[in-house]
Amino acid sequence: MILGLLLTVAFGGALLTYLLGKVSSKLRDWFAVLVSLALVALVVSLYGKTLSFPFYEGFLGMPLTLRVDGLSWLFAVSASAIGLLSVVFSLGYMKGKDRTSFYYSMLLLVNAAMLGVVLSGDLLALFVFWEIMSWSTFLLISYNGGPALTAGMKYFVMSFVGSLAMLAGVLTLHGSFGTLEFGGVAAGMSSASPGYVLAILVLFGVAFWTKNAIWPFHAWLPPAHSEAPSPFSAVLSGILIKMGVYGFLLLSFVLVGLKSFVSLGGGSVPFHTVLSVVGAITILLPTFIAIFQTDAKRLLAWSTVAQAGYIILGISFATSLSVAGGVLHFLSHAVFKALLFMVVGAVEYRTGGVRDLDSLGGLIKRMPVTFVVAVIGVCGLIGVPLTNGFVSKWLIYKTLILERSPFLAFAALFGTWGTILYGYKFLHNIFLGQLPQRYEDMERAPFSMVLPMTILSVVVVLFGVLPGIPLSVVDTIGVSFGFESLDVSLWGLASDSGALNTVNILVAVLVGFVVVWSVFRSGARGARVDQSDSYAAGAAVPTDRYQYSVRFYAPLRGMVAPYLKDLVDSFYVRLAGWVGGLGDGLRRVYTGYVGDYVMYIVLFLAALIFIQTTWSPW
Amino acid sequence: MRVLWFILSPLIALAVGLFFLGLSRRIMARIHWRYGPPLYQPLIDILRQFTQKSVSHGRLFDIGIVLSLAGSIVLIEFLPFGGVCPMSSSGGMLVILYVMLLMPLGVALSGGEAANPNTSIGISRNLILAMGYELPLLLVLLALMTRYETISIVEIVSAQREAGPAFVSFPLVLSGVAYLLILPAVLGVRPFEVVQAPQEIASGPVAEYGGPYLALVTIQHALSLFIGTSLFVNLLWGGASNPVVLILKMLVVFVLVLFVNASFPRLRVEQAVRYLWRWPSLAALAGLILVATIGR
Amino acid sequence: MDRNELMKWIKAPAKMAHKYSLNAVYFCTGCGIIEVPPTITSRWDAERFGVVPSATPRHANLFLITGYVSVKTLRAIIRTYEQMPEPKYTVGFGSCTINGGMYWDSYNTIKRLDKYIPIDGYIAGCMPRPEAIFVAVTHLWTLIDKDMADGYKRYRKNYAAYRANQEMVLGKLEWPPLFPKETGTGTADGAAMAMDVASHTTGRTG
Repeated sequence: MILGLLLTVAFGGALLTYLLGKVSSKLRDWFAVLVSLALVALVVSLYGKTLSFPFYEGFLGMPLTLRVDGLSWLFAVSASAIGLLSVVFSLGYMKGKDRTSFYYSMLLLVNAAMLGVVLSGDLLALFVFWEIMSWSTFLLISYNGGPALTAGMKYFVMSFVGSLAMLAGVLTLHGSFGTLEFGGVAAGMSSASPGYVLAILVLFGVAFWTKNAIWPFHAWLPPAHSEAPSPFSAVLSGILIKMGVYGFLLLSFVLVGLKSFVSLGGGSVPFHTVLSVVGAITILLPTFIAIFQTDAKRLLAWSTVAQAGYIILGISFATSLSVAGGVLHFLSHAVFKALLFMVVGAVEYRTGGVRDLDSLGGLIKRMPVTFVVAVIGVCGLIGVPLTNGFVSKWLIYKTLILERSPFLAFAALFGTWGTILYGYKFLHNIFLGQLPQRYEDMERAPFSMVLPMTILSVVVVLFGVLPGIPLSVVDTIGVSFGFESLDVSLWGLASDSGALNTVNILVAVLVGFVVVWSVFRSGARGARVDQSDSYAAGAAVPTDRYQYSVRFYAPLRGMVAPYLKDLVDSFYVRLAGWVGGLGDGLRRVYTGYVGDYVMYIVLFLAALIFIQTTWSPW
Repeated sequence: MRVLWFILSPLIALAVGLFFLGLSRRIMARIHWRYGPPLYQPLIDILRQFTQKSVSHGRLFDIGIVLSLAGSIVLIEFLPFGGVCPMSSSGGMLVILYVMLLMPLGVALSGGEAANPNTSIGISRNLILAMGYELPLLLVLLALMTRYETISIVEIVSAQREAGPAFVSFPLVLSGVAYLLILPAVLGVRPFEVVQAPQEIASGPVAEYGGPYLALVTIQHALSLFIGTSLFVNLLWGGASNPVVLILKMLVVFVLVLFVNASFPRLRVEQAVRYLWRWPSLAALAGLILVATIGR
Repeated sequence: MDRNELMKWIKAPAKMAHKYSLNAVYFCTGCGIIEVPPTITSRWDAERFGVVPSATPRHANLFLITGYVSVKTLRAIIRTYEQMPEPKYTVGFGSCTINGGMYWDSYNTIKRLDKYIPIDGYIAGCMPRPEAIFVAVTHLWTLIDKDMADGYKRYRKNYAAYRANQEMVLGKLEWPPLFPKETGTGTADGAAMAMDVASHTTGRTG
């Protein structure tokens, strides 16, 4: 019942927002926030419940059901929360832009579709909501037009291929088992042959991995996320990608089942190991590509691809710790990636659309709060202890090492170092260094932008210091999949092979900080100087020309860049070119000249008569 | 007793670190056939720096260096100190690897606030060099953790107490060689002194630090010498059962590194990374493969 | 050298620290710089006195001006001096800093460096040998002991006069006044300096 209400509010809210926008924009803004808030409240009220609800009978003769359990709840609460925060952020960001009613209604529609995806109880409902999500995302990615439209088309084509694969999988399942409800499918799959299971995994996997931007299906993500409007990029990177994770979790552990998933595979290499290796490649290669990006949003987009690799690595490795780490990393990444995209959005808003890392600098002096939340976000991205990124990565590392997969552990650990490099470049080129003169009178980010960023940064630190809060939810999900329960306490994890105790680290860092600060303050205090009083070998600091941001990692570039050609992307582009060429060639048949068409008909008839007279087949 | 070690270990680490700093200047001087400053010269330097009134570029400038030093102190609490490890039950090697991040991060944040290209270049070189030595270092650490099947550094030390130091035990000898080859990079001495190249980039990240900030940087340098050598001794030379033996072992390692420091010029950062990603990484990779395939 | 006397350290630690830890930023503008590398390397090892070279003025407390100062380099000298943390000591090498030395009649050099930045001591010679540098360092120690090495305090007190002198030679300076509030020139020192303003670069001694 409440599930039906939830979806009605979600979809109805999207439609009403568009209509209200025709009446008054202020009313529409507040209504959008209200709808998102209502959705969050409704989802939170579903905590701990397990419900199922058939909401529509007779769609192609099948019932469409909704259901909620631990897994859906986690994804639903993340989707609605990040949706709400991005709507609040958009209040400031979209001021003065055109077609804002379209924007808000699409944003809410994407939100509603995501909720539909995670709350659906059978594969047909999943597919329907998946499709709604895909095309509404496309509409919103190409909101700005121009290069955004190209990026949107690339996303749409790749997503479409995935959806077709998913449709093929749905049809196969329906043909084999007659039902599409999760329970029924799971029962059927447990007795199916391994080859069939593998085929279903791959079919659905293409859809989910494309959405999740796993290498080699990642090519659509960097242009799409960098060209979309920033609040929507936050939703995209934060939660839309994770719909692929949800699908993959659903598929592997609910439908296929833990035992079959782990034992799949030909010969000595299990399928899940192959997936783990793919996850490891997804961590390493995009991390290094991100290091050399000069566009802030593209850097964050490549970073999203890399972090999705961590999630897939954790989930595919299929131990209790690694799945917990993977699912927790989904949550952590949603929080800090949305935060970082909002930071870029705030900077874009105040500088008039500039997000080029080579031309910004020193903005800490004008936007200090934005800087603080950006540091917290980047620390979460890197995985500094006491942030939520650290807890999830710690779980993944620990299990990889203890289960004797040191090479995967190495990929994960080395990926973190690449993350440090591009995380610092992001911070430095935007906020540190010399402030250009043209930004000297820049105002701070407006409150409607600061509020969601602050909430997200608080969550980053809170879940890092008290990881028990998200871990207890993740643990119940793991148990529902069939893993053994982790020993979760509020402060961390207790186990005999190395425990994690964040309160110790927190207290140690705080005490250390206080001690060093008091020692430091006992020395002579420094006089505060301006940025023009900096060491310049005796010369005066040249204005606007004393910033080292261009080619920040130039020495590394010569070494690494030749190996970073994105062969997959160039393959896709070439493939698109061939198809385009083929289509172009076919097009030339239709000359538009009626005489040619008459000639085609006559020639075809002549060919038919020739065949009939020579070999008389009919 | 444990609480006493919480306070005592950073102090002892500081004393040892400052002694190492003074010793390094003295030994380098003797290698150069001159006398050199007295052994307690770093103390004099720190005292002088504390009493100078310098400039600050903003609140982040102050906080960053304090954060970096706080990170070092926390890291020392995680290291086994010859039979005692104050914070042994909070996450093991992985936490050590990530608290080690706080040190360059703090300096990077406050150096960035200094708004000077010398500091920015120094920080970018610092991060690139760190990524350079992290590749072989991670391979070595993973070989150790896989061999001893634990992520806790205390257990690695106690395993070596029974079985002998790691760098002479069969599968780990390659990892030991690799770690020795990258140890100058971890400690920041020549030929990997590129981060604080005084003549090229005006001391890099610390170019704008004066007065008490520079004192904290000197203390930080001393502590990082302690941390680097202590990590090596604990992981590959069996640690020690009491602090005195530990410090003696660290002294031997440190003097070895000083001889390397005296013999080499400074490599450019891309040369350094190219070196670090070639033979040491190959040796470390071979060691890891040996450990992973041969097993216990 | 009283570095080993513990009681002195306990009584006046800051002073003793400043004596035995002199980081020198040297201004390699003139010919005097040729005498500095022998001083800091093996033959005449300055490090045993605690004197080490420093790369940036922010780390330094000793400023060595090694040789003649042209008008162009005066700009850099002033900037470098102002960027050093206090307390700081300045030593002029060679006769060019005392009275113009060999270039006493040049249109482009500064004859009396003391008008533009405060100098605590001079080393006579053209160029002084490394042994003279060491004698100067020990004299500087004596001055620090007696609290007479207070060039930086003079700079702060008479900043307006110094700045006026600087602006007379260099024109408009690109950096704002270092001590905007210190305008007092109420000492005889300051008055004498202000009178010197008129007769500085004419090449003939004034």
